[in-house]
Amino acid sequence: MEILSEFINSYFLWRDPMIVAAFTGAICGFLGVYVVLRRIIFVSATLTQISSFGVALSFYLEGIGLAVFSSLIGPFALSLILTMIAAGFYALKRDFSRISREGVIAFGFLAASGGVIILGDRIASGVHDIATILFGSAVVVDPIDVYLIPGIAVLVFIIHLLFYKDFIFVSFDTESARLFKYPVRRLNTLLLITVALVVAVATRAMGALPVFALLALPPLASLYITENLKLVFLLSVIFGILSAVLGYFFSFVLSMPTGASIAVTASAFFIIALIWREIKQ
Amino acid sequence: MTKLIKLENVAIGYDNQTFVDSINLSIESNQFWGVLGPNGSGKTTLLKTVLSLIPPLKGQALIQNELVFGYVPQNEKFDPIFPISVYELVLMGRYSRVKPASRLSRVDKEVVEKSIEYAGISHLRDRTFRSLSGGEKQRSLLARSIAGEPDLLVLDEPTASVDMKGELEIMQLVKEIQSQRKLAVIMVSHFINTISEYSDHIILIDKDSNFFEAGEKNKILDKEDLGKFFGLNLNLN
Repeated sequence: MEILSEFINSYFLWRDPMIVAAFTGAICGFLGVYVVLRRIIFVSATLTQISSFGVALSFYLEGIGLAVFSSLIGPFALSLILTMIAAGFYALKRDFSRISREGVIAFGFLAASGGVIILGDRIASGVHDIATILFGSAVVVDPIDVYLIPGIAVLVFIIHLLFYKDFIFVSFDTESARLFKYPVRRLNTLLLITVALVVAVATRAMGALPVFALLALPPLASLYITENLKLVFLLSVIFGILSAVLGYFFSFVLSMPTGASIAVTASAFFIIALIWREIKQ
Repeated sequence: MTKLIKLENVAIGYDNQTFVDSINLSIESNQFWGVLGPNGSGKTTLLKTVLSLIPPLKGQALIQNELVFGYVPQNEKFDPIFPISVYELVLMGRYSRVKPASRLSRVDKEVVEKSIEYAGISHLRDRTFRSLSGGEKQRSLLARSIAGEPDLLVLDEPTASVDMKGELEIMQLVKEIQSQRKLAVIMVSHFINTISEYSDHIILIDKDSNFFEAGEKNKILDKEDLGKFFGLNLNLN
């Protein structure tokens, strides 16, 4: 009880990060359904790493005296540009002769992860900042994120509401979509761009680990619980919000790293869903 | 009869690799075409060329303006990870008449319900597609294909994963759809008896020998030639 009242009394400290976490959980949970159904979970992992790399690169450029460049292209913009380029590449280039698509996804993941660590070693504020980029921070979020992330989440929801039938159609049956003259390539690119946009803003605000966890685990848990596609989306949004909010709460009251706490909370929902499924069968 | 598709001196294949060339074919409404050939003979490639899913490597594929296709692909091509219900699947058939970013009207949904009923799968309406048997899947895909009110129905081995009773039921449904709606059908099948029973025109295709022949059933189903084509002693009574 004491912990809870202390938490409530610290309202002014956690209000903003909690808003950011809840909206990130909701939109990642929603987009994650596409990520899981299209079997591109590791594309989303790679995008979170590339986004982290963009943030680290921006800090690095500022550190080596390219502050002018950095103020023109801040961490968000650079992260967004790199993530969009990567998303466009993975959306448009589907065949890689001689090697599998997974191989090229692994290349993106490893190159970006290595880049983040190398740059992290060289940026002025050092290791602590890079840990924040990768694993998230419990303490503060940039004040602009309190508006930016809900704004982008709402924009992405509207796009998905508008193109729901089309995104499901091109994801489930590309061939028939082509036959019916649907702009398959443009729809696939738009879908992945919405993922990239959310990954770019959310990774900068919360870190790569929680964003990846929120994209992958809530939809997986939802797919265990129901066979109704619309309900899968709804449950995934709810699990995403609960994972982010409860993860943040545990991190705050138990002094745990935020990103890890969110990832573990999302994992707990996955395990509960797994047990639910086993019992039901 | 209306001419729907005309292939003129067409070569089919992938990545500039020609499977079969010099294909001439004219498909008209109310015709039932059966496509026969050994495994890997280019049957599906021919279907995809007819559907404009892959371009011809050579020649011209002329397709009637605003021709609406109904397509029944092989059912194992759908990823079972998707919890798509039969109703949602059949809705997709209607997308041939609904533009991207537009919603289905009440009339569209009525056509979908009627298609489900017509295919005799009302009891499966809320089941997931992935949980169905092979025969039920094919009936659902047929319902989907007619929901778009097509001019040309293209079927890729619709009886491949069903037993004999299921095969008979599906073929009767296909024949009923074709004769009632006066649409053209192109169907690939491994079963010569099925093709000879239901189709009125036949295509023989074999990539390995660059063989293509198309025409009326009676002219094509010459037992001796067909036997040579398949390397078998056939009895098509």
